[in-house]
Amino acid sequence: MEKNGYRERVNEIYQLINDHLYFNRPDLEIKGENYNSAILLSLLTALKQGKELIIGEPGLGKTTSAEFICSLIYQFPLGMIWASEVSGHPEQTEEKIVGRPDLGKLNQGEEEVVWTNFTQIPAKIVDEINRLPETKQSMILDGVDRGNWEYLNEMIINDEYSLFATANYQDGGTNTIIAPLVDRFDVMIESKHPGANLSFQVGKNGRKAEFLRHPKIEKEFHRLFKSKTPYDKKLAKMEELCDAFGESVHDALGIRPLQKRDREQIRAEMEDLAYDLDASAFTRMVLAEFSFCEHYGQKRSVENCEEGCHYSGYLCHEIKNCASNRLPTSIKQYAQGLAWLLQDSEVDIEHLKAVIPFALAHRVQWKDQILSQKERAKRDDPFSLYLAKEAVHVILQRYREQSEHLKDALAVGSRIFQGESLEPLEGDHPLYREIKKDLERRKR
Amino acid sequence: MKSAPDQKRERPAISGAGDRSPRNPFEEFGRFAVSTQTLPLEEIVQSTEVVMDRIRRGYERLLEEEAKELVWMVQYNTIIKAYEVAERYVKEIEYAAEDIEDFCFALENTQKIPYLIPGPAGLYISALCNYVEEEEILLKLSDLKTEINLLGFRLPKGKRLMIEGDTGDFTGIGVEGGDLTIEGNAKNWTGAGMRSGNISVRKNIGLHTGEWMMGGEIHVGGRVRGLGNIVEGKVYEREKLVYPGKARYPNVYY
Repeated sequence: MEKNGYRERVNEIYQLINDHLYFNRPDLEIKGENYNSAILLSLLTALKQGKELIIGEPGLGKTTSAEFICSLIYQFPLGMIWASEVSGHPEQTEEKIVGRPDLGKLNQGEEEVVWTNFTQIPAKIVDEINRLPETKQSMILDGVDRGNWEYLNEMIINDEYSLFATANYQDGGTNTIIAPLVDRFDVMIESKHPGANLSFQVGKNGRKAEFLRHPKIEKEFHRLFKSKTPYDKKLAKMEELCDAFGESVHDALGIRPLQKRDREQIRAEMEDLAYDLDASAFTRMVLAEFSFCEHYGQKRSVENCEEGCHYSGYLCHEIKNCASNRLPTSIKQYAQGLAWLLQDSEVDIEHLKAVIPFALAHRVQWKDQILSQKERAKRDDPFSLYLAKEAVHVILQRYREQSEHLKDALAVGSRIFQGESLEPLEGDHPLYREIKKDLERRKR
Repeated sequence: MKSAPDQKRERPAISGAGDRSPRNPFEEFGRFAVSTQTLPLEEIVQSTEVVMDRIRRGYERLLEEEAKELVWMVQYNTIIKAYEVAERYVKEIEYAAEDIEDFCFALENTQKIPYLIPGPAGLYISALCNYVEEEEILLKLSDLKTEINLLGFRLPKGKRLMIEGDTGDFTGIGVEGGDLTIEGNAKNWTGAGMRSGNISVRKNIGLHTGEWMMGGEIHVGGRVRGLGNIVEGKVYEREKLVYPGKARYPNVYY
């Protein structure tokens, strides 16, 4: 565990946001530490270059919380973050989101693209993404997924970026977020009401975010973003401006935002954190329950469970769709981030227990009967997150009952895979069947 | 994701062009020491057997000490003495509420316990109930052919003992604040000498009910055949207070 003060700096940023910028209650306990899930997961999103969907009622700080995080982790003044945001509305166009032709050059017969701030800035915010019609959501699909932004025949590639998208609950003006886009979000969080007492404090201390503004640097950023300098050269200049803003924040507040090399070092340290065996076995168990179907080979949203299925006691029987391969990646990213923040040397079950519900909530399609059974349950979370937390709780119980046997089964699996003549272990969970399937594949 | 430029990172191993062997998906468990193959169910059965053996041995030792001739007279002194012996053995055993039920069942259904003598058996079961960690104990005795005496003896405050089936004589004697429920019938001398607490008998109760009871309440869902000499406390028959009151008299049988 390296002692380079990065954790302390990230914790200071968390504390600053929690104490002065985004008032909310802690709603997540991990290893005896209390956190507010919206701030914590947004911090991890920015650090791990993730993609986060923030839901909640209007005016409860969805966009604001993301703006503060982006400003402090990426060292951009708030004015620049605002100027780079894309707002979701039905009339939104590719030209406002991605880029447009340089009209002056076009008149001279040359094609040149003027890229939007949104494509150039690493900290990207899409406000009210579900007000974008379905057809226009696909415009940001590729950029969101790979960091590639294309217009005409030109392309810029973001080597570092994270995305925050906010969404209101369904109302007359909202659209459904298309399934491929939903799956690209690593986590979904809710920006909750802070309660009457904290809410009463909001706005009491005047314009609290004033110290994250810097008009002079903002103007320089604008000038840079508008300039015709190639994007890779712009990046170097961008870093200089970011560092200048970081210095001014340090002078004003005493905390030091993260420079690019700090973020890279942090990411490298997070990446080095491996799963311990329990964490690995538990994650496999989760993935098995969200993808397994004995009858049809895997879950498919177009197929229904067969009557009398042996595995009707597992979550595969309660859901419609299949977990995508992005799910384990999202889980790993955030669990590593959390383990790093908590100064742990490995990712363990506690980290997973905390992050998996947020990675699952928006991805799982529950069967109607499950929704109607549970929708009136007493809870503090939005329904989808509540269901995901319940699901993780149930799987964790199952894991605790059979963890040793399951690890044995995986170990025996490994030995069979390496050529030993053993019989795979039997057990009553979809994962045992999955192990057998992998071993049968080996025999072929 | 890009790594820090100064950080030396291991390159992922890429198989050679001709190497088409699939990646071991369980690789990280390769060094995990596989435990001896016992199914969890077998482990549970084994550990239950160990506990049951200890409980059984305690009962046999109680019989050896207190019922040498396989005859046991219910007298005040013998009850106290036998209970103390039972207490001594029970305190040495680690067991759970469900083990008590298993023991009750084993009393009639296994060759390993040679004698079911209702008095000592009841005292021993009472001691098990009074010293078990759980506060609620459920004993399903409906299938027993023998009605066990002295169940619920000295049931302490905070304990709740529920018995499905009928019980023998001296049920709930000396209850010390506990809550005893019998889902069937109870015989004579129920609640004798109880100090406080509550005894509920869903069906009928025998003679000398509440003899010398000093406090607490006895609720009978069916009929009270006869009351004992009650010092203090209350007895209800079908929710109607029959003691204190003039409706029923001690040692008069109805």
